[in-house]
Amino acid sequence: MSKSTISGGHLVARYLKENENITHVFTLSGGHIEAILDGMTEYNITAIDVRHEQVAAMMAHAWSVYNNTPGVCLVTAGPGFTNALTGIVNAHLENVPLVVLCGRHPVRDDLKGALQEMNQIDMVKPVTKWAATCYDPRRIPEYLSIAFRQATMGRPGPVFLELPPDILFAEIDSSSAPVPSRRRHKTAVRPETSDLEAAARIINSAQKPVLIGGSGIGMSDCGASLKSFVDKTGIPFALVNYGRGVLPDDHPLSLSEGGFTGIASGLPVADVVVAVGLRFNWVLQSGQLFPDAKVIRIDIDPSELDRNMTATVGLEGDAGMVLDQLLPLVEKRDHTEWVDTFKRACTAFMTTELEKRQQPSDPIHPARLVEQVMSVFGNDAYYVADGGDTTYYGLSGFSSVHRAGVLIPAGGLLGCLGTGIPFALAAKLAHPDKPVIVLNGDGSFGFNSMEFDTAVRHNIPIICVVNNDCAWGMIKHSQEISLGHDRCTCSELGMRHYEKMVEGLGGYGELVTKDEEIVPALKRAVASGKPACINVVTDPTVTSQATILFYQSFGEL
Amino acid sequence: MRLKILLFGLYGLLWFSSKTNTSFKKFIRKARVRMMIRTEDGRYARLFIFDMGKITTVTDPDQPFDAALTWKDPKTAFSVLLKQNMEAIFYAAADGNLKIEGMPVYAQWFDAAMGHIM
Repeated sequence: MSKSTISGGHLVARYLKENENITHVFTLSGGHIEAILDGMTEYNITAIDVRHEQVAAMMAHAWSVYNNTPGVCLVTAGPGFTNALTGIVNAHLENVPLVVLCGRHPVRDDLKGALQEMNQIDMVKPVTKWAATCYDPRRIPEYLSIAFRQATMGRPGPVFLELPPDILFAEIDSSSAPVPSRRRHKTAVRPETSDLEAAARIINSAQKPVLIGGSGIGMSDCGASLKSFVDKTGIPFALVNYGRGVLPDDHPLSLSEGGFTGIASGLPVADVVVAVGLRFNWVLQSGQLFPDAKVIRIDIDPSELDRNMTATVGLEGDAGMVLDQLLPLVEKRDHTEWVDTFKRACTAFMTTELEKRQQPSDPIHPARLVEQVMSVFGNDAYYVADGGDTTYYGLSGFSSVHRAGVLIPAGGLLGCLGTGIPFALAAKLAHPDKPVIVLNGDGSFGFNSMEFDTAVRHNIPIICVVNNDCAWGMIKHSQEISLGHDRCTCSELGMRHYEKMVEGLGGYGELVTKDEEIVPALKRAVASGKPACINVVTDPTVTSQATILFYQSFGEL
Repeated sequence: MRLKILLFGLYGLLWFSSKTNTSFKKFIRKARVRMMIRTEDGRYARLFIFDMGKITTVTDPDQPFDAALTWKDPKTAFSVLLKQNMEAIFYAAADGNLKIEGMPVYAQWFDAAMGHIM
């Protein structure tokens, strides 16, 4: 290849590196995408190759969250594409700027029964913001530019670009493929001044206000704006989803500690709720938790402003920008008494859970397990929880001073179990100097535990703590409630030595059955320097509040 | 004594509603919930047992429960319960007069159930 010519595959890599500053691509190799993989070598992009394309999509999704830049995954045609679909749907429902580059059968072989010939575009369109096929190697930079803009502009979301091998292997004159100047727009939509003033009046007269920040806070990365706003208004706040950690959990006005129970205990008595970048969906019981409050909703997508609950005032725009616009209109207030009341009530509502955390138990209670993990790593770490009941205990018990320091990706709208290990791997790649711990249910561990091979090959020493109740706990306990203990179906898993599986893949593993073994085992896992699995046998009879809510959501049908 | 009467009266209301109130009957028809209301010293206690539409009760404070409102004293319990709202419960908890034991989500379910008959 002469200097003036370049292959389509190399052109893809060059664009990613030089125009979008992409350092990592999450992938699994395949013949159709070989030219791009080679281009990544040429342009010094780190390829994290995984064992299932679902994980490539989930890791790229997580990379977006941890770095606040679009994550890129590269998958091959056919099964590579279909395997990635779960991860793409998850990103779609969580509004994450995931850029999916995908192989395709050759255009030359359309309708001939080519290997992996299928209509990928029609399949992926409903679950992406934008999906297209590039047919001309000279337009590769243009298509990639559109893909990144679509992923990040307005409300973010996944995009899908299909690249046939005809164009990836084709060599063209570099000068014939113009690179668009990189254009990344932050939305400049501004609410009406009268609406901003109305919102400020409500905030200024509030006696028991609460601010809840969701993923829109995280995507806006508006920690400074949020800090100025809460410090001036004195409003206590809870940050959830990808908003968690934009301000640290140990901020004096933070209500994030205590997880769902903590927030749910006080929301019904709040007189004003400021919801920022937060959808009122199933996870938030469609806003029913605070039926009598005046509600100010801030969202980048105007269709969310009255969804499931009519906002008293709806403000369209980027979370940080709207908070900045509100700042001069709101008064300096002190809600210390309300904050203290909220926290004391929260403690009273969590009586049993707080007791369980402090007491050694046999068998081990999952709340106690989380407490023991926290005692080792503290809040200068990144935590991920994955599972059903496991997600509840992780959200409730973990805290971190870091942005996205506590994530429960399985608690999103897709309820996508198996996200824990991919998210933990991405967190460790993004923050190699910090401990990264994933608390996995034994059921959810099964989906992507083969990725410990990825962790070993790429030297990504995460620590996975398996909350092993030998069952699909949330389903089992729901069935016990609805069907009866003697009719549970497909919800038992049995005792398995997951730690030996990880050892077999080259990691570190230990089995723990006693409370006093938890901390020493975690310390040995850290000392090993390897990706580790601590398989902790926990009380199979424990049911979390999340299970009750899950059951109740069907109970009224 | 007033708390004892209030709790017994509450049971009577729940039982009667389970026979006559259509929306309440629908709300409780699939529920298996054991809701305890008691004082810290155990002198006053009533467990409301919801079992797929049927409601029974016992007065033993040591019975297993899904959620318990454990009051510091019967006087506060009486006055707060009479107000019949979550805000009063919240402030009682904040003031140290009430602990919510077990799973608070069941207490919220109980509150929602009461909403069908009050």
